[in-house]
Amino acid sequence: MPPNQRSEILQGTLELLVLKILTLEPMHGWGISFRLRQISNDVFDVNQGSLYPALQRMLRRGWVKSEWHASDNNRHARYYAITREGSKQLTAEREEWERSSGAVNRVLRFAPQGA
Amino acid sequence: MAWYHEIGATLRALLRRDQQEREMAEELRTHIEMERQYNMRKGLSPDESAARARRAFGGVERYKDDVRDERGSRWFDELRQDIRFGWASLRRRKGFTGLVVLTLALGIGATTTLFGVVKAVLLKPLPYGNPEGIAVVWSSWKGFPQTWLSYDEFEAWNSDIKSFNGVGLFTDNSVTLSDGDASERVRSGDVMASVFPILGVSPILGRYFTPEEDRPNGPKVIALGYDLWQRRYAGDRSIIGRAIQVNGSASTVVAVMPQGFRLPLDFGSDGKTEAWVPLATDAASEGAIPGPAFDKSGGSHNWYGVARLASAATIEGANRELATYVAQLVKDGVYAPDLHFRAFTIGVNDQVTGGIRRALLILFGAVGFVLLIACANVAGLLLVRGEARRRELAVRVALGAGTRRLTRLLIAESGVLAVFGGAAGVGLATLGLWLVRRTAPAGLPRLAEAHADGTLLVFTLGVAFVAALLCGVLPALQAGRVAPANELKEGGRAATAGGGKLRWRQTLVTVEVALAVILVVGAGLMIRSVANLFAIDPGFDPKGVVTMRVFTPAAWYQDSARVVSFWEQLQRRIATMRAVENVAAVRLLPLASEMGDWGLGVEGYTPPPNEGTPGDWQVVTPGYFETMRLRVVSGRPLDTRDDFQGPLAMVINKRFVEKYFAGRDPLGKRVRVGGSDSGLTYAVVGVVDDVRHNALTRDVKAQFYVTLAHFARAPGNTLRNMTLVVRTDQNPRSLISPLRAAIRVMDPRLPVFDVRTMEEVVGSSIAEPRFAMELLGLFGALALVLSAIGIFGIVSQVVASRSHEFGIRSALGARPQQLVKLSLAAGLRQAAVGLTLGIVLALLLTRAMGQLLHGVKPTDPITLVGVVVVTGLVVLIASAAPARRAAHTQPGAVLHEG
Repeated sequence: MPPNQRSEILQGTLELLVLKILTLEPMHGWGISFRLRQISNDVFDVNQGSLYPALQRMLRRGWVKSEWHASDNNRHARYYAITREGSKQLTAEREEWERSSGAVNRVLRFAPQGA
Repeated sequence: MAWYHEIGATLRALLRRDQQEREMAEELRTHIEMERQYNMRKGLSPDESAARARRAFGGVERYKDDVRDERGSRWFDELRQDIRFGWASLRRRKGFTGLVVLTLALGIGATTTLFGVVKAVLLKPLPYGNPEGIAVVWSSWKGFPQTWLSYDEFEAWNSDIKSFNGVGLFTDNSVTLSDGDASERVRSGDVMASVFPILGVSPILGRYFTPEEDRPNGPKVIALGYDLWQRRYAGDRSIIGRAIQVNGSASTVVAVMPQGFRLPLDFGSDGKTEAWVPLATDAASEGAIPGPAFDKSGGSHNWYGVARLASAATIEGANRELATYVAQLVKDGVYAPDLHFRAFTIGVNDQVTGGIRRALLILFGAVGFVLLIACANVAGLLLVRGEARRRELAVRVALGAGTRRLTRLLIAESGVLAVFGGAAGVGLATLGLWLVRRTAPAGLPRLAEAHADGTLLVFTLGVAFVAALLCGVLPALQAGRVAPANELKEGGRAATAGGGKLRWRQTLVTVEVALAVILVVGAGLMIRSVANLFAIDPGFDPKGVVTMRVFTPAAWYQDSARVVSFWEQLQRRIATMRAVENVAAVRLLPLASEMGDWGLGVEGYTPPPNEGTPGDWQVVTPGYFETMRLRVVSGRPLDTRDDFQGPLAMVINKRFVEKYFAGRDPLGKRVRVGGSDSGLTYAVVGVVDDVRHNALTRDVKAQFYVTLAHFARAPGNTLRNMTLVVRTDQNPRSLISPLRAAIRVMDPRLPVFDVRTMEEVVGSSIAEPRFAMELLGLFGALALVLSAIGIFGIVSQVVASRSHEFGIRSALGARPQQLVKLSLAAGLRQAAVGLTLGIVLALLLTRAMGQLLHGVKPTDPITLVGVVVVTGLVVLIASAAPARRAAHTQPGAVLHEG
């Protein structure tokens, strides 16, 4: 199932970023998506809607929790906050990311020397 | 991964579906609205802001669907759809559904019933504290493989066997409760004060017996069973400390025992003991040496023994210790070596259920086969249906249903079937267990406790689940191979049957027949075995005899003369009743209880050194030989001549003659019963044929008969427990109430109990093989019927799917018989393979039945031939009907269709 595989890579990264964003403060969906755009300089050129299945999945896994609050402009919105398990997951994912990207970097640095 | 989050999420998704839907809709709406306002703030026009916000978000409905997917309940939603769809499609074909549900119900019901029995008998712990640590203690010697303990043995085991943490003696008895309006005779146990603590059972009211109460001439006390307490004293809690009339004298109630409490040897007996009194004996009154020392005579071997194992001790360890101890006793000359004296223990679980365990496990295996056959049948039916649904499934695949989804759909369908089958099966099992309780012969332990309960429901659920998988997996595998292009192109019709599915069904039928054959062989062997047991000549004629026990307490019948005259008068009264042919009374009914022996002095016979001259003693009233139709071989039976005044007369059995009068004429010879000083000397007046008193299958021992009047001449030999036996030419049960009335007229105070026909007595003595036979017979029949349905199905399918071909053949001049032969061949070939396979497997498996069988080997050729014939006939009949239809194939009609 090739299409799925690609989105899975995307999903993993998306989750990592969402967790990272939520370490700052609890945020509603639009806020998260806004931050995503800011942080990544609009590299994540995906539909904003795709954030919600990811959030639902993270809810199910217990990485984030959600509550309904009044927003800044007095709007009822669902706020997401990172849980302790989410923090653990973030640390683990970041280490994994650094390990693999480190390996990739080493390979990339090695290549010119060999050429 | 925190699995509990997942489960929680799934549960929330299932339970709060509507709320979650609402919240999701609102959340997405809010998002788009925020984006729109953001766009407005950036200075875009209202229309442009809204349009961009929507575009940036993407398809709302699509993401909603994705979110739903992530809630973890999608599989459940789909399953619900599948089930709903399965249910609808099953409802469309009521006949098919009914047949499948019935088949499953039979399989599941039979399995659940037997599980209920296994649970009650084998799995439910005995009503004792830590039953693993309780051992029943036995003695054994030549001719007595398992017999009672003497007081000396008790003392020795109690003090010297380290594996035991306390030994207690008990025996069974009966007491008359005569306070209040009605007197009642109940079975009772005489127990040492240590017995209840050893069994680990505390009274629900009151206390244990004290050592002071458990002494000769101690205070009279009694412990009541729960049922007796409820029945006779209406559960009155103030009964503790009250005096009630027991055997005509006052006894204080000190305890009420918990419901279901029984003594270790109560489980198999026809009536449980319901009241307990202290054994109240000691070494002196037993004629034993006080303390662990042993006397050669050691007191009489009268008692059952029960022991609590010391912590960390085992039954094997206790047995080794006992063996070492007894070896030393023999070395010391206490017991002669050729007595083969032995002492051993059996764990109480083995003691109670050891005998029936093997039979039950075999039956459980057998019922598993029935379930397998039922599943195979249903799988076969589903395959046929799958055939008919090929196009429907092909359309589904073409419309995008994945293989996995299709498989699940079919399994869900069989799941729906299994749920209905299971529900009906629970009903059948409840009925089955009721039947088991109603019809289970006395003599089988704990069957009466078999009830449907929660555990049983869980078990049924499990069985239904397994059945659903078993039934659904084959059709699902088949469906997985549906290739829509071919299916839809073909136009749904071929000249001959689609090969693959037919082959599957044929395999199923072969397996079914093989399993059925195994069951029928098992049933056949049991039937032969039980027939052999019934064919054993017990030495008396049980037909037309009714029996009841009558007890004449010392309180009202002080001496032997009064007891004897009571029986004489009662017999005279009964003899005049309508339909009565003969009447008498006897000490111990044959096949109802084991008989003890008495040391004899036989004229002209000297026993080998260290061997006694034991004879089993039977006491009867005149008329017994006629009533039971014992065969007098020589001399005369005991009759009215043998009364208080007549010279002491004895009738002996053939075994007695062979053993002690080998080659001599016994008539007129003298036999002394009891010790040389106190014993009475009788003259042998007759010889009767052997009666198998202890068990149909056990060796007959030397036995003698004397009359009640003669037996009572020795002081203290008053027999108060006698069984009335009456022969009639009518149904013996019809005599029960007239007989009770006759006894009431004689003495309304006397309790009458254990009312049974002699045929029931004989029947319950072979309860276990009969129970196994009945159930195996039932399972075998069930298996045959189910296989017949399977064969009927396959032949029908062959005929139906080849009707086109048959039409062509018929048009080309094939005669009807040839067509019948063609279709029959389909069923018969599978059946023949199954039959052969089944016989081979049966030969392997029925070896496990060896111990259950009497007079028939597991390889019994008659049984095997019988099974082949019966199964063959069933197969023929099942194939014949659909095959005949083939003969009527109308070429025109069939060929025209296309």
